[in-house]
Amino acid sequence: MARKILLVDDEAGFTQLLKMNLEKSGDFEVTIENDSMKAITTARSLQPDIVLLDVVMPGMDGGDVQAQFQSDSTLTNVPVIMLTALVDSAELSDGAVAQSGSSIVLPKPVDLPLLLRVIDEATGEA
Amino acid sequence: MEPLSLVESVLDNLPVAVFAKDANDDFRFVLWNKKQEQITTVKASKAVGRDDYDLFSEESADYFRSVDKAVLKRGKLLKVPEEIIEGKDGQDIHLRTVKIPVIEEETGRRLVVGISEDITEQVQARAKMESLNKNLLETNRELQETQLQLIQAEKLESIGRLAAGVAHEVKNPLALLLLGVDYLSDGIDPDDPNVDTILKQMREAVDRADRIVRGLVDFSSQRALTREPVKLHAVIDEVLLLVKHELTRSNTTVTVEVPDDLPHVFLDLSKFEQVVINLVINAVHAMSESKKPTLQIKAHSKKLDGVVKNQGARKYEVFRSGDPVVILELIDNGCGIESADATRLFDPFFTTKATGVGTGLGLSVARKIVQLHGGELQVIDRSDKKGAIAKLILPTKIDTGKVPVSSKSSK
Repeated sequence: MARKILLVDDEAGFTQLLKMNLEKSGDFEVTIENDSMKAITTARSLQPDIVLLDVVMPGMDGGDVQAQFQSDSTLTNVPVIMLTALVDSAELSDGAVAQSGSSIVLPKPVDLPLLLRVIDEATGEA
Repeated sequence: MEPLSLVESVLDNLPVAVFAKDANDDFRFVLWNKKQEQITTVKASKAVGRDDYDLFSEESADYFRSVDKAVLKRGKLLKVPEEIIEGKDGQDIHLRTVKIPVIEEETGRRLVVGISEDITEQVQARAKMESLNKNLLETNRELQETQLQLIQAEKLESIGRLAAGVAHEVKNPLALLLLGVDYLSDGIDPDDPNVDTILKQMREAVDRADRIVRGLVDFSSQRALTREPVKLHAVIDEVLLLVKHELTRSNTTVTVEVPDDLPHVFLDLSKFEQVVINLVINAVHAMSESKKPTLQIKAHSKKLDGVVKNQGARKYEVFRSGDPVVILELIDNGCGIESADATRLFDPFFTTKATGVGTGLGLSVARKIVQLHGGELQVIDRSDKKGAIAKLILPTKIDTGKVPVSSKSSK
């Protein structure tokens, strides 16, 4: 069964293309939320297997959204991967990922094979 | 005391030199008063009965003779605004002279009567003033050059602060491009409906990155002040692109009410962007504690009224009543301005920001740039005390008499 991904990012073009890439294999079903203020509502109804979350967004930033998820009993155990241009891939060695609290942080532009690997590890499919 | 006739007495006490030459006797002097003695340092007893060639250099004498002949030919008064004779110690003496043709009643002699005023001191004062004026212009030019350098230095500082945000804004389209490449690199299925969308998104991403980078390059360019007619809306759009990251991070809502049909304003685009970027970043910092940071950017045009010389908006001697202007306001809902700080806002290096957040040059440079545009910048508390207003008054016509002309910027 395809794993459910919630993708929260205000960049509509980016979310659209990431969804296309992730759904290509048939392993995932991606739901896009471009409005961070609605992320919690969308997550509650979707109950995703994993959340991909942008950091710099208007309305609520990624940190605030993640805090909302953690305080919700139905979402607190859902793994979150932060995607952000604030982290430079040059600062990380190849294939490495950064941690921010319980979240994994991946730099934008996104290295797709790395993202797929991290998703697999986080959802216990590795 | 030697008895003198009334005429002789008057002549010798006049503050101007008076002389007369007899045209019927080779222009020999027949009259030479005391003042003429003082100016030329030649006694009347030596001068009377001699001509210009006996008393002055040949060159001067030639000139005096030609003027005398011209006076007689014209038959009327001739003014010589400035002529030079050699003084006692070789110094030039500058004279303003009037020459009058006279026919003496009793004798029928044709005379040329001259009245000369020594204007040497005036000429020297004028030369000194011209030299001082030249120095003043040079100093002013250097000052303007320094101001332009200061403006550029502050701009580089702004660019440094914006760089991280701009990099972030460029990374977003790059991220999109990479996803497009990832998708297409597995091979393109002509029946895949996603391909068209992906290509369209990739093109838009390239355009967007290009706009941001171009905006930054234009902004950072160092040029002398070059003003051109500009739509204010275009300036605001460019600025918002460069500060988008700062606005998003600070969760600031921006509303723009800048009508498209406003008259053009004559601006140096890059320098004026510097002003607006400064004001926007200031507002963002001022709203850091606000619950719902909101920045309103509004503009309208009007004719100034009630502006009296040296009062109110006239304080920089820029505007007069009836001048058409565009007024741009940036209204925030931040901490406002402490009354103790109000008078120091535009002082260089004055800042209420934490160390490392601001240098205190922003507003002083912003006001200087606005003044170079013949405009005015005011920063005031909102009347409801719920934030501050930065108000820019900009002329919609160029009056070169009011606008300082910039010099070329130095490298």
